[in-house]
Amino acid sequence: MMARKIMLLGEIGVGKSSLARRLVFDKFDFDYKPTIGVDVYRYEVPDTPGQARMTLIIWDTDGNFGEAIFKHIYMKEASGTLIIGDINRPPTLETMGKLGQGFSEMFPGRHIGYVVNKTDLVAEPQAVALPPLLTRPGTPLVRTSAKTGTHVAEAFIDAAQAIARRSS
Amino acid sequence: MSQKHSSTPPRQSPAAAAEPPFSASEQAVYQVGAIAAAFGFFGVIWLDAELVVLDSYGWLVDTVERGRPVTDSLVALVGLENEILALKERPDQVVELPAVAVADADRPARKLNFTFFWNNAEQCHMALAYRSPSQTELEMELSKQIRARLIAEAEVTAKSKELVRANADLESFASIISHDLKAPLRHMRYLAESRGTDAGASDAGTLHQKLREVEMQAKRMTKMLTELFDYSSLGRKYEAVAAVDTRAMIEAIRATYSDDRFAIEVSGAWPTIMTLGAPLDLVLRNLIGNAIQHQDRPVGRILASCTDEPLTLKFVIDDDGPGIDARDHESIFLPFRTLDPAAIAQSTGMGLAMVKKAVEGAGGSISVASKPQQKRGTAFTVVWPKHISA
Repeated sequence: MMARKIMLLGEIGVGKSSLARRLVFDKFDFDYKPTIGVDVYRYEVPDTPGQARMTLIIWDTDGNFGEAIFKHIYMKEASGTLIIGDINRPPTLETMGKLGQGFSEMFPGRHIGYVVNKTDLVAEPQAVALPPLLTRPGTPLVRTSAKTGTHVAEAFIDAAQAIARRSS
Repeated sequence: MSQKHSSTPPRQSPAAAAEPPFSASEQAVYQVGAIAAAFGFFGVIWLDAELVVLDSYGWLVDTVERGRPVTDSLVALVGLENEILALKERPDQVVELPAVAVADADRPARKLNFTFFWNNAEQCHMALAYRSPSQTELEMELSKQIRARLIAEAEVTAKSKELVRANADLESFASIISHDLKAPLRHMRYLAESRGTDAGASDAGTLHQKLREVEMQAKRMTKMLTELFDYSSLGRKYEAVAAVDTRAMIEAIRATYSDDRFAIEVSGAWPTIMTLGAPLDLVLRNLIGNAIQHQDRPVGRILASCTDEPLTLKFVIDDDGPGIDARDHESIFLPFRTLDPAAIAQSTGMGLAMVKKAVEGAGGSISVASKPQQKRGTAFTVVWPKHISA
């Protein structure tokens, strides 16, 4: 089975751990526990016709790293990243662009997906204005709620499929 | 390697191990190590040259499975295999992986630091696992508090910046309204007052003329207000970045403005880029419109060129109009400024102010070159970033 490493990047408190825990354990912790260093999760991607089975090794990073994460050994051999922001905190959405740029400079050609999280906190998530970088045609963007589970699996499975396509 | 196994302390129960063939002092060290491992201060994993687990010691690493690749049980090492394998070639170095936990649904994950060595004597890799200091409850609680404060501070900073910007806008807005919008009001007031004092003001023809002038001033004021609103709205919302064919854009503008009097020549690269289309269109259209509006001769020509540079596009709109005196090169970009009194009827003087705001909103810059004392003409240069930063 193919094992691929994917990094969760984003500012502190945007819901990286909540997304990983919702995906892997299908649960949501209401008590916020910051990640220090990294937590690593294993997720067996559901079979997709025509693609080899894949295990995603999800690296849930400490948001406090900021862009310094790119200099860390944690990033070694990452096949892709999901960059996460909080729909209610515009500065975290702006940071997504910087992290995306940093990742693409370090790993040209590898998958970058963007996740705008906490959509359960706004009435119309689609109506919330996003930075231009996130809305460019062809940019993988998923609006999620780790709290309700909305589109969480979709975000990871889309990323896994994109990584598989690039690996093949 | 079998020799290593014979001297390796048993992994589950060090205390119950057979007496190792140590000297008295070595035995003391061994016992201290065994106690430290039993209390979870460290764990050791031995790996063969291919990173298959030979043995492990201490409950911190009790999840690793003997006889299987270490990455099976420590998935955090996926992707680091080559890094660890390379230690064989440079045995004086180590690979460190700090503060890693393999998350578990049912129990709090242990946050461990791993340090990998190559043991030349025994031809095996060794991994020392020890608790990360960030494992403690106190550390977690402190981190939680610090982060909550950081988030709150970031929000306050963002709001403060927004407030400063809004205040600056308000100040400039108030200044514009109090100064520039007074002009048409003053004119209307004068017309109304003169109706009662001027000789012959009651004459129907004169009255009609004055009313027409009041109407014109009211229209001008409406136009000024509309443009002021457009100006203040510029850059407030995120525009969609999309593929923009700049050649198609300039050709469309040329088709709008070219006529028998004005020839617009287009030269240069004019590529398709991912950018903000509407502001770029506003910039090029206003610069060309401005050149036409202020041409003081019956015919004129405008050269529009684009140079494709590594990070930017450089647009130059060059006309053969009367030129702009150097002392006005800055003030022309202020709202409601026009240097041509004759143009006041057609222009509110907002065009170049909007151009500047749109260019700077996209992260670009604009400059003007003109020396009317030496030569006719003005060249506006716009440097437009190819990548719009969020």
